[in-house]
Amino acid sequence: MKNLGLNKWIACAALITGAAFAAPGAGMVAKKLELGAAGPLAFGPPGILFVGDSASASLVAIDTGDRAANKGAGTIELKGINTKMAAALGTTPDQISIQDLAVNPVSHNIYFSVSRGKTPVILKLDVAGKLTEVALDNIAHARVSLPDAPADVKDSRGNSKRMETITDLGFADGRVFIAGLSNEEFSSSLRSIPYPFQAAAKGASIEIFHGAHGRFETNAPVRTFTTYTVANKPHLLAAYTCTPLVTIPLSELQPGNKVKGKTIAELGNRNRPLDMIVYKKDGKDYILMANSSRGVMKLAANNLEKYDAITAPVADKQGVPYETLADLKGVQQLDAYDSKSAVMLMSDAGSMDLRTVTLP
Amino acid sequence: MRSIIALLTALCALAAPPAVRREGPFFRISGGSNETEVAVYVGEGDVPPVMGTFTKDGADLLFHPRYELEKTAASRVVVQGREFRFPAEMEALPRTTIVEKVYPSGPEIPANQLKFYIHFSAPMHPGEAWENLKLLDHKGKVVELAFIEIDQELWDREARRLTVLFDPGRIKRGVLPREEVGAALEPGATYTLVAQSNWRDARRVPIRADFRHTFKVVPEDRTPIDPNKWRITSPASGTREALVIDFGEPLDAALALRLITIPTTPGEAHLANAERQWRYTPAKPWPATRQTIQIDTSLEDLAGNKVGRPFDVDTFDRVTVRTNRGQVTLSFQPR
Repeated sequence: MKNLGLNKWIACAALITGAAFAAPGAGMVAKKLELGAAGPLAFGPPGILFVGDSASASLVAIDTGDRAANKGAGTIELKGINTKMAAALGTTPDQISIQDLAVNPVSHNIYFSVSRGKTPVILKLDVAGKLTEVALDNIAHARVSLPDAPADVKDSRGNSKRMETITDLGFADGRVFIAGLSNEEFSSSLRSIPYPFQAAAKGASIEIFHGAHGRFETNAPVRTFTTYTVANKPHLLAAYTCTPLVTIPLSELQPGNKVKGKTIAELGNRNRPLDMIVYKKDGKDYILMANSSRGVMKLAANNLEKYDAITAPVADKQGVPYETLADLKGVQQLDAYDSKSAVMLMSDAGSMDLRTVTLP
Repeated sequence: MRSIIALLTALCALAAPPAVRREGPFFRISGGSNETEVAVYVGEGDVPPVMGTFTKDGADLLFHPRYELEKTAASRVVVQGREFRFPAEMEALPRTTIVEKVYPSGPEIPANQLKFYIHFSAPMHPGEAWENLKLLDHKGKVVELAFIEIDQELWDREARRLTVLFDPGRIKRGVLPREEVGAALEPGATYTLVAQSNWRDARRVPIRADFRHTFKVVPEDRTPIDPNKWRITSPASGTREALVIDFGEPLDAALALRLITIPTTPGEAHLANAERQWRYTPAKPWPATRQTIQIDTSLEDLAGNKVGRPFDVDTFDRVTVRTNRGQVTLSFQPR
């Protein structure tokens, strides 16, 4: 997930009032940052970029220093951004993978986590269209281990293959939420870590149970999530792989809590959510969800609290209605760009293209 | 006179055409160019220059790429509008990586099978699994939506083992995908897991050949693991004979190797008989005292049933009393 309108405004409002956040970068030390991997990205307080590092089971906050407000580039249409990144990094397009992108909501510069071979790299595309590397040699950052991360336990032959992959990140309400999936036990987790990181503070590991699915416990992975206000309270809006869209009040996501999510929509079979954002248009709220097999789905998000929880198996789709924007194909990543558009990374016959799309 | 010669030499140097040499990881640009007149490129068309830094070496300029240039890619250096081309340093590398093993390794798996582990002989390139991994039915038709296609892909740290999860929606009872399109695996049918030869390793070289693993599907397993039903064959004390435990069913390979331990007698565990058997060889001879085997209750069988708890039991009402993790123990007396 990405930074959202909601987070942005919470963050900005808090900063202006000076209430909830320490100065950006507070408590950070400028030194070399060694990333094991650069996975999901999300912006938090102004200029602070969170990076999921699955290889070292940790979350990193980087002070990008990028806090100068800018209106943005307007329209972006950048074909073959993977080819351009590869060229700038002195390699061929097949050697790089774009893991995630996040728009800095203040400056509108776009940040990418990229693997060059096995080397993690953070790149920045500024509003003038210039691509640069975020130099990690001497950068203000803070790192925190994932609470209850799988211990690096070796089996009796000295092998340690166990890992937890961070599948999504998001910042809301002064906390970073992290969805992860184990590569051994069948289990997924949602953690929350307060920011600024405190040495002694232990994040929460949260278990979520669905009301649907014939009331079976589910360990199904949270595929992507975002935050959104339902009935004036901030909620996590999580899309699961086996189709439900679930809301969970942020206030319930506390250490050790076992939380029941409310299933507000079954989006039907062949729904493989990849990424989603919430936005406002003409006074109404919508959810935009990129989907691996259906194109992009648009859901009306006003009054989500009015939808009844789905508690029994449904024949097809149920709950919050949606429409499919079939012309947006191959969307791999998306983020809110400005008040009128979203930025999308789209794959088209081996080429990765970056485009802004007017919010539908 | 001497000053005129010096001036002429300097003028000649200024007028000398630029030259570029590749010296190991960097480029040497002679001919008195400055940084703004030099750009290094990998790739053709509208691409940005390679990121890097310049240093001076006498009259020459050295360009150090931020990352070592890809050896299989050609490069070019443009100096004052003139282009110098450098061929790739290396031809394509040989195809040497293979799929070494797939777990579960046996010829039969339950219809509610939860995952596969695919082991490669060398580190792989994450990001290509879902286009290269297929599940085929007995007619060779691809089973759609069989796996959870997590784009990060669940690799180990070395990127040599991939964990592939069946979509829980195709396994769990009462959920939508399964109601709509049925289970991914039908009992009695035969399927083949295929790793296609386009799948590239960490060097970006494809694996040597297609890998195929065919198996038959047997009825679902919804029975929790019960260690009390395991058969233990005790070794003789004073020897390093293997302790043998027969589970009576195949267990998850990775978890069986990690979550069954004998803390007081270090040793090495192996799986045999298609993960139905655990064999443990102590580092030192077995003592004559009674030995305790610790079993973490998060151990899973092929269908995700844990010790004392089936995979999709409804625990919602009892969740406040459920413990996540625990240990059960077995003991044996070396002969």
